[in-house]
Amino acid sequence: MKTKLTFILSLMLSSAIANDRYTDQMIKNIETVYKAQTNEEFQSAINLFERIGNAEKTKWEPFYYASFGYLMQAVRQQEGSKKDQFLDLAASSLDKAKAIKENESEIVALEGFIYMIRLTVDPATRGPQYSSMAMQSFGKAIGLNPENPRALTFMAQMQYGTAQFFKSPTTEACQTLAVAFEKYETYKSDNPLAPTWGKGAADDMKEQCK
Amino acid sequence: MKTRFLLLFTISSLSAFSQTIVTGIVTDEKGEGIPGANVFIQDSYDGISSDADGKFSFSTDEKGSKFLVVTFVGYKQFQQAVELNGQPIKVNVSLREEINQLDAVVISAGSFTAGEEKRRTILKPIDIATTAGATADIAGALNTLPGTTKVGESGRLFVRGGDSNEARTFIDGMVVLDAYGPSAPNTPSRGRFLPFMFKGTSFSTGGYSAEYGQALSSALVLNSKDKAEMNQTDIGIMSVGADVAHTQVWDRASLSGKIQYTNVRPYFGMINQEVDWKTPPASLEGSAAYRKQIGKDGFVKFFGNFNQSDYSLFIHDILDPQVKYQYDLGNDYRYGNGSYLQSLNENWTMRGGLSYTYIQNKVKIDGIPLGDVEKGIHAKAVLENSVSDRIEIRFGGELIERDFEATRQNENSNQAELLSFREPITAAFTEGEIYASKRFVTKVGGRMEYNNLIDQLSVDPRLSVAYKPGKQGQFALAYGTFRQTSKNEYVMFNNNLNPEKADHYILNYQVINDKKTFRVETYYKKYYQLVKFENGNLQQLNNKGRGYAKGVEFFWRDNETIRNVDYWISYSYLDTERDYLYFPSSATPSFTSKHNFSAVYKHFVTSLKTQFGLTYSFASGRTYFNPNNSLEDFNTDKTPFYQDVSANIAYLPKSNLIIYLSCTNLLGRDNIFGYQYSVQPNANGEFVSRAIRQAAPRFLFVGVFITISKNKSVNQLPNL
Repeated sequence: MKTKLTFILSLMLSSAIANDRYTDQMIKNIETVYKAQTNEEFQSAINLFERIGNAEKTKWEPFYYASFGYLMQAVRQQEGSKKDQFLDLAASSLDKAKAIKENESEIVALEGFIYMIRLTVDPATRGPQYSSMAMQSFGKAIGLNPENPRALTFMAQMQYGTAQFFKSPTTEACQTLAVAFEKYETYKSDNPLAPTWGKGAADDMKEQCK
Repeated sequence: MKTRFLLLFTISSLSAFSQTIVTGIVTDEKGEGIPGANVFIQDSYDGISSDADGKFSFSTDEKGSKFLVVTFVGYKQFQQAVELNGQPIKVNVSLREEINQLDAVVISAGSFTAGEEKRRTILKPIDIATTAGATADIAGALNTLPGTTKVGESGRLFVRGGDSNEARTFIDGMVVLDAYGPSAPNTPSRGRFLPFMFKGTSFSTGGYSAEYGQALSSALVLNSKDKAEMNQTDIGIMSVGADVAHTQVWDRASLSGKIQYTNVRPYFGMINQEVDWKTPPASLEGSAAYRKQIGKDGFVKFFGNFNQSDYSLFIHDILDPQVKYQYDLGNDYRYGNGSYLQSLNENWTMRGGLSYTYIQNKVKIDGIPLGDVEKGIHAKAVLENSVSDRIEIRFGGELIERDFEATRQNENSNQAELLSFREPITAAFTEGEIYASKRFVTKVGGRMEYNNLIDQLSVDPRLSVAYKPGKQGQFALAYGTFRQTSKNEYVMFNNNLNPEKADHYILNYQVINDKKTFRVETYYKKYYQLVKFENGNLQQLNNKGRGYAKGVEFFWRDNETIRNVDYWISYSYLDTERDYLYFPSSATPSFTSKHNFSAVYKHFVTSLKTQFGLTYSFASGRTYFNPNNSLEDFNTDKTPFYQDVSANIAYLPKSNLIIYLSCTNLLGRDNIFGYQYSVQPNANGEFVSRAIRQAAPRFLFVGVFITISKNKSVNQLPNL
């Protein structure tokens, strides 16, 4: 029922803005980057985001999604230095988005996510520095938009990881996760291009909080 | 027929004016197709990614004169003007590699770089802190790397047959006159700077940049951390003292300060010491660091520290241990350093700085004062220009001025006399780094110095090349001439002494991948113009001394094969001789050993939240001279070998608490560093010896470190 409604809603939305080339192309390509599996698929979607971003100049979304694409590739790499190379690209795309819109909760949350993946490359060396940087970013992202479910999910993950390492209770982390779940349901941005990803990560964590 | 033709014409012209088809291929310099390149008409959505063969084809609605742009990661952006008028366009694009990529060749001969943890480096700053046996001392950790000789009673860096004063320390490019804290005779000293202050270190055992002068054997370049990210307070309670530090962060600036009090008196009270202390060492030290972002592209750093320490001990006569005299030392040290970095535009960067060192040693032997004061100023300005991604040039100028004043007892008159010198050195240096390709790089430079004290102008060349034939391994070669004013204790007697000089020739091969490093290096170093005593007389000095050092070194590090385990092994072979100072002929100096071996092991056990570290060090016997033998046997006797097994444990019971335990020389080996002989022979006409031993068989250290901050997951681990 719900999906049906969303479907109709999105149909209505897309028809209403069919003449807006920017939104139209972005929606299509966001779909592509969400579904991408291979490096080729990611690269081709990222290339389009970069073309749109270079042409538009005032829109933060293209560079946000280009960064997201690189980040997803980083996550899929096995070798640390490869991960870092993709993270470098993700960070440089995100810098472009940041230069266009400074205090966007989604951008700040993605920045935190980049730090989080940086951390995983070499936890022993990078742990102290990047865990605090990531938590700071998630905190700032939640401050900018307390309803941002992605910022909440990652914050919950960081809190959980820290609690687990030090064998302290995970209550705080699970509370944050519960809020994240709630926001995935209730929070709807008025920006048709706003990110919707990240629920999978929350689902994965659900088990641990039972 | 006619209408048909007209219709056709209209259609074709219509389409001609609506869309242009652009096709072509993207290749690299070798003509290989590049897949996934972004090919597009500038400022439009129109474009495509090149296919698996590098080919592309797309249509565009854009019209008129536009730019076709092609981008691909690791290559320079390609741009070409095209006329979009409906006629199909074919463009063949050859992309040029961008050099500043992670896999490009780097100059590696002679240097160990640690830092920017993103890069592939041999040693990371945290490694310095977590190396067992180093007790969080920078020199202690570097002494596990090839090229160093373990000189246990000194604790300083001795590099490739060089004395410890030949290894100089630079902080943010600025020279530090004495990087080590005071220590009692024959007990190891510790560096004055804590490893956690630095985000990167570069330890060069030869062939270093023209920017670093007045260093004969080694340059240790430390880069301090940038702006702190978080307010926090750190408290440390240790078996030998306590410290407290606080960091305050603003939007564009941060300030940190630290006060530390060290007192080994209670510790020495419990554990027997070889040294007959009257008052064991105690010190008070403090440091402060301020960082501020200036404008968009500027950054300024200030750092200052002070240290006051003193001790008093009895030195016993070798012939008659009942006869003793009292040795008092008070050391007063201040260091301040300011540095500035500004990018002027895309290609030009400017940096500069000013440092000031003040060291006062108040020494008294049986109440007779023997102090000295050294003051130094260093000012430097450097301009860097990235001419292109293949050529980088750097040039700068500096002034190093030292003022030295010492009180000595004149042997003839038995009166105290004042000896002093003032040495201003102005220098200019330039260096260019040229990449012929990603595989081949050359660095050429030179350093010109004018020494005002001896009125001498000099030019020293530097040259390094590196070649990377495959994906991982690379060869490097370095050559350079280096000079350094001889030790203060000689210059004060003879203000006209020439600087000591050394030529370095280095050949290096290394393979670094993600978690493994292999490296082998061989070198030849020629020493000349060393200080020499004429007829063995300290008052008559010349520059006729000379010598050489040559050797082969191996390094292996593996952070992959065993889970949660990181280890490295280094071995150095050193063959060196000198004829200098009081040496009767060419001989191997006593601060060197032929074979040096270190193995460092670190294991993090997640279930115990504990890191275990173990370090094994070995050094073959060191030479000494037994005056009971003839002078022909000068420095031919050798001490027993040196061996040490050290361990440390860092336990993290809570996120903001660390309990740290370390112990040196677990096996309790009685290491002998050398022998001292009585000045006069005894009744039997023999010179009596006394072994120079470790002050205590082991050094035990316990510390508890607490961090207070908003973010509970922050701890002092990076500091340890």
